[in-house]
Amino acid sequence: MTIQNRDKFLDHLAERLGQPRHQLATHPYQQLNDLPQQTLSDKTPAELLALARKNSEALPVTFYEVAPVELPQLLTDYVTDKGGGPLLLPTTSHFADYQLTDWQKSIAADQTVNYWLPDADRATNLKAAEIANIGISFADFLLAESGTVTVSTNPGQGRALHFLPIHYLSIVPRSRIVARSTQAVAWYEKEQAAGCLDSSAIHFITGPSNSGDIEMQLVTGVHGPLDVTYVVVDD
Amino acid sequence: MKVSIFTTCMMDLMFPHVGKNMVEVLERLGCTVDVPDDQICCGQPTFNSGYVEASWPVMHNQIDALSAIDCDYIVCPAGSCTAILKEYPELLVDDPNDPTGDYMARAKILSAKTYEFSQFIWRVLGIADCGAELDTVATYHRSCHMTRLLGERETPFWLLENVKGLEMRQLDGIQYCCGFGGTFSVKEHEISELMVTSKVENIEKTGAETLISCDPGCLMNIGGRFNRLGKPMKIMHIAEVLNHNVDESRIKKISEVATPAPAPFP
Amino acid sequence: MGLSTSTLPFKERIAAAAKDKFAHASIAKAQDTQYTKRENARAELGNWQDWRKLGQSIRQHVIQYLPDYLEEFSDNVEKRGGNVFFAQTTDEANDFILNVIKQQQGHHVVKSKSMVTAELDLDKKLQALPDVSILETDLAEFILQEDDWDEPSHIVFPAIHKDRNQVHTIFKKLGYEGDNDPEHMARFARKYMRERFLEADVGITGCNFAIADSGIINLDTNEGNADLADSIPKAQIVVMGMERLVPSMKEAEIMDNMLARSAVGQKLTTYVTFEGQQTPGETDGPENFYVVVLDNNRSKALGTEFQEILQCIRCGACLNVCPVYRQIGGHGYGSLYPGPVGAVLSPILGGYEQFGELPFASSLCAACTETCPVLIPLHNLLIKHREVETDRLNMMHGFTDFQMKVVGKGTSSPFMFKMALRFKHFGLSPWTHQKPVTATNFFEYNNSMITKGPGMVGGWTDVRDLPVPPKHRDDFRVWFKHHKKQGGDAK
Ligand code: SF4
Repeated sequence: MTIQNRDKFLDHLAERLGQPRHQLATHPYQQLNDLPQQTLSDKTPAELLALARKNSEALPVTFYEVAPVELPQLLTDYVTDKGGGPLLLPTTSHFADYQLTDWQKSIAADQTVNYWLPDADRATNLKAAEIANIGISFADFLLAESGTVTVSTNPGQGRALHFLPIHYLSIVPRSRIVARSTQAVAWYEKEQAAGCLDSSAIHFITGPSNSGDIEMQLVTGVHGPLDVTYVVVDD
Repeated sequence: MKVSIFTTCMMDLMFPHVGKNMVEVLERLGCTVDVPDDQICCGQPTFNSGYVEASWPVMHNQIDALSAIDCDYIVCPAGSCTAILKEYPELLVDDPNDPTGDYMARAKILSAKTYEFSQFIWRVLGIADCGAELDTVATYHRSCHMTRLLGERETPFWLLENVKGLEMRQLDGIQYCCGFGGTFSVKEHEISELMVTSKVENIEKTGAETLISCDPGCLMNIGGRFNRLGKPMKIMHIAEVLNHNVDESRIKKISEVATPAPAPFP
Repeated sequence: MGLSTSTLPFKERIAAAAKDKFAHASIAKAQDTQYTKRENARAELGNWQDWRKLGQSIRQHVIQYLPDYLEEFSDNVEKRGGNVFFAQTTDEANDFILNVIKQQQGHHVVKSKSMVTAELDLDKKLQALPDVSILETDLAEFILQEDDWDEPSHIVFPAIHKDRNQVHTIFKKLGYEGDNDPEHMARFARKYMRERFLEADVGITGCNFAIADSGIINLDTNEGNADLADSIPKAQIVVMGMERLVPSMKEAEIMDNMLARSAVGQKLTTYVTFEGQQTPGETDGPENFYVVVLDNNRSKALGTEFQEILQCIRCGACLNVCPVYRQIGGHGYGSLYPGPVGAVLSPILGGYEQFGELPFASSLCAACTETCPVLIPLHNLLIKHREVETDRLNMMHGFTDFQMKVVGKGTSSPFMFKMALRFKHFGLSPWTHQKPVTATNFFEYNNSMITKGPGMVGGWTDVRDLPVPPKHRDDFRVWFKHHKKQGGDAK
């Protein structure tokens, strides 16, 4: 943990700018207008859901909206549809919250299921992610404007879980559909300030990995998942 | 309404017919026209080449000359020169030779009452149809400075819409510069050539037989290229179009025509 | 090669670019594709002009208080357990990075896209290390790497100058056996790179925005390569230009939205990532996190008329609208930073001796200024460069000072101008030709054209014909005097 060459570097900048350092306390940044907050702020929850679906499907993302009781069957069908395991699942209480503990057992009976384990070492978890055909995550938010899920890393749900599997599915409660990135970021900042979130990585994921680097022709799945599915669960 | 013509050095040196047509149109629409005698140039050629010191006297002369005649408006046949004159108050902020701020004060007055020709007709005179007729298939070259610096994207299209017999074709790549750029066309002529060549190709693709614009500089560039290639193209400044075969009984105010669509291109 | 991407003189680069028909077509196509996508994305957001002001206000504030934000950022990186190295020069930065790799006993380095590491010429330095492999993982940069480290020609689409057939040829050397379909080739690249990713021990990434109040960085990509580079290896080195700060995630989020719409016409890039030093308990992500903050002459812009160029968020929109870039491509500029932003930035970073031509390689059409999401007055800054070069440094650029000063005199003295009007027609006969006028109407008043002119006119007539000026008696002013006498303005 070191900082090197700082003072000389910063003094030089201050000199070029022609003003002393340490001005920020009296000159904090003040947001010029409230466009980020205003944009789409007039939408009802139902409109946000419709918008989220439209924008997700355009990406393209497969978009489902289900009641909690339908969730286990949907997941099972999804696994079959994508050719089965190995699966990579996070270690989290969300499975219990969604009453998916039975599903966890039943799917493990049929398929190879690995978990991202808080106690495992880097190599073990990365291996599980590397071999995974399917990765499933629980998202914090779904952004209506862009069709984006946001996920935060924690010991039970590592970074690579979202990137190494071939097929990727993310589950998000309906109440967590917000207008745009503005609301999600405000929440993350609030949680971090309150000490409730100690995550080293927050990912905003908008559909499958893609690239237009060869003749601007859009191709999917260059590094990350080849396809992406969002499941909105009524709550 | 008293109108002074801001002639521009290019019109004075090269394209007298643009001025004549412009004067005739303005007089027909009820303006009393005059031409301030000592005016020369807006200062762009030197200023944009980085010879800023040499540009102050040019701008000062232009301010003196245009202020010498009392008028309600100043009208210019070139979108680019109009834009620069309107920018004078910003440019003169750095002027070291204006201790009393006298030039700045007059620059502000001039800037406020200066308009490009088509803009003046539509936005000040409120005329939508000049009564002109021109039987041709044409396309319009939008000049960069008129569009982006002056911010006028619409009036030429609206006025041309009302010219009898005129069929306008949309120009692909209308947003791209023709490669004129003043001294750029001379100094970086290799790049300029590539640009004007691609402009010529796009104009040919429209199938138009006439090219219209509000900037003599661009027309000199594109027309000069057509001529070099030996390709036929009728090159017209908008003043010539609006002064063509006029039937005064057809002249209409904005209120007498349907509201035109906003800028046809971004 | 670092900042400079070519050893050829400027005019030769232009000539080479003019000949490269494929690159030309591919850039034009890319510009047109991006044009529609970008404009639609901005229109859909609404209030674009006010968004620009918001973006500008954030970036201007950061630059104005840059030392404070850098101090806050580095304190917070350290608090999270990471390291920050401030490098004034590229040498300092390279030495530090190579040292970290040695310390970490790194053998397999993966890189995600970073213009600043290209500025450092870091790839070359890494290649020189024994027992260290290096992989550029952005698809475009991977293509360039495998094409014997070809130079990038765009800041967002580095391989914009290559077509599918060229990529096909390059990939065949790597054992690819399929056709030239971009989808198939991308799949091959995925597999090829995935294997190397999994053995990576050091990841080097760029940084779109560094978040001052939390010591994390913000990365925007579509491929997800940056995310693999910051997940798999146990060490991460972030290399950033010193200006790339934002106060907090709140402002980063605003910039991310504007960047995606401006750069690729998307609402957000596929992956928008906020990440930093691994938190205790997590198993992937960097256990060892290093940030290198590079000056490399950026500070020369501070406190000058060029300060605004540091607001740039590298969206590439100004390249995508530029008619000059359209014609000469990135390689024509000979700088890692091409296009309008490059024409302003390169002389600051690399000096006028090397990049002094670039500010002149613009028609000042202002398309760049019009599109820049953070309201950098790009074309005005080009004029300022010209002013520095001509008025202050007296560097000669094409025209002699004498010629331009004559123009200045001639256009500031009514007497001289009137003399010029009177005599402009004379003395031109050696260059005048009775050439049929095909560009009719506009040039028809005297039916002769200059096809090969002297001096400054020569540049003009190399490309196009010049009408012979009218005789004095045909001038507008002469006509007007006569017209007035006849009572022309009677109304
Ligand atoms: S100068 Fe403006 S338009 Fe150009 S890359 Fe930078 S931010 Fe984008």
